[in-house]
Amino acid sequence: MNPTAPRLLQLQFFAALREQAGCSTLAVETAARTPAELYRELQACRGLTLPAELLRVAVNARYVAMDTPLQAGDHVVFIPPVAGG
Amino acid sequence: MFELADQPIDSAAWRTRLAHGAAGALVVFEGWVRNHHLGRPVTELEYEAFDAHARLEGEAIIAEVEQDYPGCRVCCVHRTGRLRVGELSVWIGAAAPHRAAAFLACRQVIEELKRRLPVWKKEHHPDGATEWVNCTAEAATSRLSPETYHARQIALPEVGAAGQAALAAASLLVVGVGGLGCPAALYLATAGLGRLTLADGGLVELSNLHRQILFTADEVGVAKATAAAARLKAHNPLARIEAFATRVTPLNVRTLVAGRTAVLDCTDNFTARFLLHDACRAAGVPLVSAAVHRFEGELTVYAPGTPGCLHCQWPAHRPAELDATGDCASGPVFAPTVGVLGVMQAAEALKLILRTPGADFRHTRLLNLLDASVLAVERTANPSCPVCGQPAIIRSDRTPSRPDVILTEEAFVALGPVRTAWLLEAGETARAGFPGAECVLAGDVLRLRELAAAGPLVLACRSGVRSAALARLLRAEGMGAVFARAVGAT
Repeated sequence: MNPTAPRLLQLQFFAALREQAGCSTLAVETAARTPAELYRELQACRGLTLPAELLRVAVNARYVAMDTPLQAGDHVVFIPPVAGG
Repeated sequence: MFELADQPIDSAAWRTRLAHGAAGALVVFEGWVRNHHLGRPVTELEYEAFDAHARLEGEAIIAEVEQDYPGCRVCCVHRTGRLRVGELSVWIGAAAPHRAAAFLACRQVIEELKRRLPVWKKEHHPDGATEWVNCTAEAATSRLSPETYHARQIALPEVGAAGQAALAAASLLVVGVGGLGCPAALYLATAGLGRLTLADGGLVELSNLHRQILFTADEVGVAKATAAAARLKAHNPLARIEAFATRVTPLNVRTLVAGRTAVLDCTDNFTARFLLHDACRAAGVPLVSAAVHRFEGELTVYAPGTPGCLHCQWPAHRPAELDATGDCASGPVFAPTVGVLGVMQAAEALKLILRTPGADFRHTRLLNLLDASVLAVERTANPSCPVCGQPAIIRSDRTPSRPDVILTEEAFVALGPVRTAWLLEAGETARAGFPGAECVLAGDVLRLRELAAAGPLVLACRSGVRSAALARLLRAEGMGAVFARAVGAT
């Protein structure tokens, strides 16, 4: 598969990111190859303000590195700094 | 057991769930909603969870803690939704046979939960303003930053950003979390390593505490690896530390050593010392070894390219006999001796990772704390060492002659089906024409020991010299049925 061809991803947002994105879930078609690239896109087009270095990312319910290649159909969740307890 | 709850927590019911006959102590942590945060009044908290992920992470935290503290049972429930001041947001109970483990387990659950559980809270203030905790610009700047934590280390020209990156990519194993391992691990835990594993199958004892400085009197009876990892994580929340609370044995040593940047031998006996040395040698992993006797200690780095090996130093000795000559496992110890040596082991390991110019791994250091002296002794390879020596020079007459070690062709045939190992010299490729023989690198004593432990073993090699020498070495270690085929037998 051409790594830069646009593909469809399922995004889910929580807490501060959910409020900034204005939605809990979002299907996006994107040419972003990695979560890092995807987050830069989202910052530009949805006004997300949390700096990327504060976030972790879970793809298909597994924590992965921000430079992990994304596949079509991936479920991507950017995790803001947690605050349980 | 872990639950997320959108209704008030019934702590009495959770307490009942933990009751069991073997429990002698229950430690409970309750998180309450308070009316202020960072100087601002708070009226309400709103908790949101990444549901499926939070349940998995919560269960994982509890499973880890229950494994770390055998006999301990843990329950945790975390609220979601809107909570008023004074309401219970999280309830954790840890029931254990003894109070020390219950306190530690309960603390570990809340600390891990705050670090890992995908749950967020939004504060509501009296003026109607709201704020997601930890997600503000101030939180971003006040967070525990690795760059700031390590700034004074990175400032060293010998470290710099590249060195710090090398440390972050490194994986270290410390075997033995005792007098040497405690101070070594303390300095490694603050260095910014990618991975640090502490392996020790023992429990904290009262008579350890004067030198095993990571432990407190409360922790007597707790697994040393677990207690040390908990202490070091509290010391440096950025550190990635794993506890392996099991004795290192021939069965697990390869897995533990595989992929490490370096290993620290902080054990107190020769059996473990030979085991680690041989596993590291086989895997090409540098080993930083130390040993102490009262006021004196010895520090040696065995790395690819350094002269000789442990077998050069102690040719054909039984580890048990060497142990019997000293008193390191139970004898008197001047605590600063292990402290100094342990810290030096950490320094040598960090220098191996950083490739520090001027580091000298070719000498063994002999320390004497009575007169505060350090003597550098040049190590030389023993050319006739059965493990690392040259085949042409290896002497096979080191130990008293055991005629039954060398098998004639007749005796080999008479032995019937038997495991055979062909010893490969450097540069020699797996040899055809010896069906059924496993090819073993000549220096891989660990593999030979594994094979010998499984039953009778016959060694063979091109010259017949190393096979005879290694057969004698394994015999000297106490292996019974190890033989070498006579020269020329193929």
